[in-house]
Amino acid sequence: MHVLKRTGWTVFIGMLPALVIYIGIALVPIGMSFYYSFFNWDGLSPMRYIGLDNFTSTLKDSVFWKGVGNNLIMMATGLLGQLPLGLFFALMLNRGLRGIKAYRSMLFLPVVISAVIVSIIWGMVFKIENGMLNGLLELVGLGSWQQDWLGNPKLGMLSISVAYIWQNYGFYMVIFLAALQNISAEIKEAAVMDGATGWKQFWYVTLPMLKETIWVTLVFAISNSFRVFDLIYVMTAGGPAHNTEVMTIYMYNNAFQNMSFGGGSAVSMLILVFSLIAIYAANLLTRRSQ
Amino acid sequence: MKNAIRKTMLVTASTTLITALAGCGGSTTDEGKENGTPANSPVTLTMEYNWSTPNVDNTIYKERIKKFQELNPNIKIEAQDIPSAQYRTKLRTEAAGNSMPDMFILYPGIEMDPYIAADVLMPIDEIMSNWKDILPEQALAGYKVNGKQYAIPTKMTFVDIVYYHKDMLAKAGYKEFPKTYDEFLDLVKKLKDSGVTPLAMGNKNRWPMQSTFMSAVGDRFTGSDFLPKVNKGEAKFTDPDYVKSLSVISDLVKLDAFNADINTMDEVQQQDYFLQKKAAMTMTSSTIDAKFRGSNSDKAAADNIGIALFPAVNGGKGDPTASAGVIQYGIGLSKSLSGAKKDAAMKFLQYFYQPELYQTLMSKGIVVPAKVEVPADASPYLKEMLALTKNGSAPVFDSVMPAAVKDVLENGIQAITTKQKTAEQLAKDMQDAQDKSKK
Repeated sequence: MHVLKRTGWTVFIGMLPALVIYIGIALVPIGMSFYYSFFNWDGLSPMRYIGLDNFTSTLKDSVFWKGVGNNLIMMATGLLGQLPLGLFFALMLNRGLRGIKAYRSMLFLPVVISAVIVSIIWGMVFKIENGMLNGLLELVGLGSWQQDWLGNPKLGMLSISVAYIWQNYGFYMVIFLAALQNISAEIKEAAVMDGATGWKQFWYVTLPMLKETIWVTLVFAISNSFRVFDLIYVMTAGGPAHNTEVMTIYMYNNAFQNMSFGGGSAVSMLILVFSLIAIYAANLLTRRSQ
Repeated sequence: MKNAIRKTMLVTASTTLITALAGCGGSTTDEGKENGTPANSPVTLTMEYNWSTPNVDNTIYKERIKKFQELNPNIKIEAQDIPSAQYRTKLRTEAAGNSMPDMFILYPGIEMDPYIAADVLMPIDEIMSNWKDILPEQALAGYKVNGKQYAIPTKMTFVDIVYYHKDMLAKAGYKEFPKTYDEFLDLVKKLKDSGVTPLAMGNKNRWPMQSTFMSAVGDRFTGSDFLPKVNKGEAKFTDPDYVKSLSVISDLVKLDAFNADINTMDEVQQQDYFLQKKAAMTMTSSTIDAKFRGSNSDKAAADNIGIALFPAVNGGKGDPTASAGVIQYGIGLSKSLSGAKKDAAMKFLQYFYQPELYQTLMSKGIVVPAKVEVPADASPYLKEMLALTKNGSAPVFDSVMPAAVKDVLENGIQAITTKQKTAEQLAKDMQDAQDKSKK
């Protein structure tokens, strides 16, 4: 009892620096953003209180909703592309094949590379002239399929999704791999004894044991999809004509290009609300299936 | 501990006061040091500029700052070089946070207005007599508000120069650049038939078509007084003339005049694409002339590149010989400067903008707004550029229109090039944004 009490305090004191930093660089700015969102402010002239005008004008702007739509595409890409792919590679690596370390680093590499470099690499893949993808199509006799992959309004988001999957699946792969390696060999042996092999083992033994991990990766995938910015900004800058614009780019243009800090703050508040809603929805879904 | 600090502060403050008094009425300084009089006490000035690209003029400016510090060892200039794309945002944010540098590059016209309104700039009228012989009134106008001068420019940038490969035009049957828009469209068709891209554009970052292309094309149709009139509410973007100017983009898109990757190529790639002769023409600023011709190591290729202005349009109200130009690189001073720091900054400006600066720029092929003698070693390319742009300048769109309207035009141009919008729809969107920004 005595010991417990003392640990409580030490834990608190140990956490204090991190807590102060967290409050200073996360909570306080969110609060300030919330405050600014009620003002008309260009950064220089006096701030003018305008109530909810920033929110209503943002919600009325079709470009904003285009951004929301594109964010949903990014979210779907994360949930349906990155997570399954990450799990797939984690299962492969978990089987203990020869040279596993080399494979592991190779598959994890995209996560380490900065988003700007990833964008430049994929920009080169999608280029019209001497682009890798178009070159490949030419090579296999599908020259007529050649495209302006990023500049085409219909294909822009799809192309970006491919780059987004490539960039991030490795992150989930590592999380899944860690979880898989935590499943003790005894459980697997027991499963095999009961006749559960292959798919059956995966479906009835491995997957349920990963439940908590999957929940964590879901939250990551959802919140990451709302934060995506640099990847798209470098590849297309949200263009052509807003076709690949997501909410963060919309916020950036509003706040820093058009110098409307109040409007930009309102958008950032909406991003926060939307991601909380999405995470809450994911929470409800997984709880129900439990 | 606290007491000790307070004591030191007091001592410092009083010594400062004493040295200031000892300086025989010399300007009092908040930066004064315990030893020495203010006249030779070291002063540090912070500065921010956007000269990060390796353009010839950027190198000249930086060398001048270095030289000034060598000549004035007691004045130190701590400079930060910020990429142009982030520069305006950074300065604006610093101004908002009350932490502006002492000296900074100031954009003229509408970009300067918010700083004036917030009263953070220091006028430099007291030293203007330095330049009364070499800087004409119209060269200073962009940095002058309510009779006060806030900066002076280094160079004049014409944003809408058409560069073309003479041999490629000759192959299409043109000995010289077309004089009218109809002939121009004809040229585009013939170039297209010969298998090259007629007009290279890299509009990924959105501003090139808006600034470079539409400033010139808009002016041809509407005349130079149109944009100021729109700002006053006396004209509208939905007026037929302006709509016609927007449909030039769709005319050219219909003819496949641009490179297919217009929306994913940037302005530097655009220049290289043109230099590699993948396109017969391109449109960009007069500053790039140094890269294309002046400092091009391939002399034959440089001589093969011609320059022209966007041709005259049928029934257009603008002067077909006017080029859209804007003055650049005025160094503004923070209003918070005082005493020795202010004197040092004024001294720096007087040194920086010497006639010698303008002559060095000219010898490197850069158009300057100052009336100085053209140096003997100026290239024929510069003389050609001076002749081409001598008929006054038309306004550059983004130096006149509010950011929100500019934003709509930029995205609208991309929408026209991807066939998602018509000129009429874009004109309406622009007018809506204009009406909204006035509120």
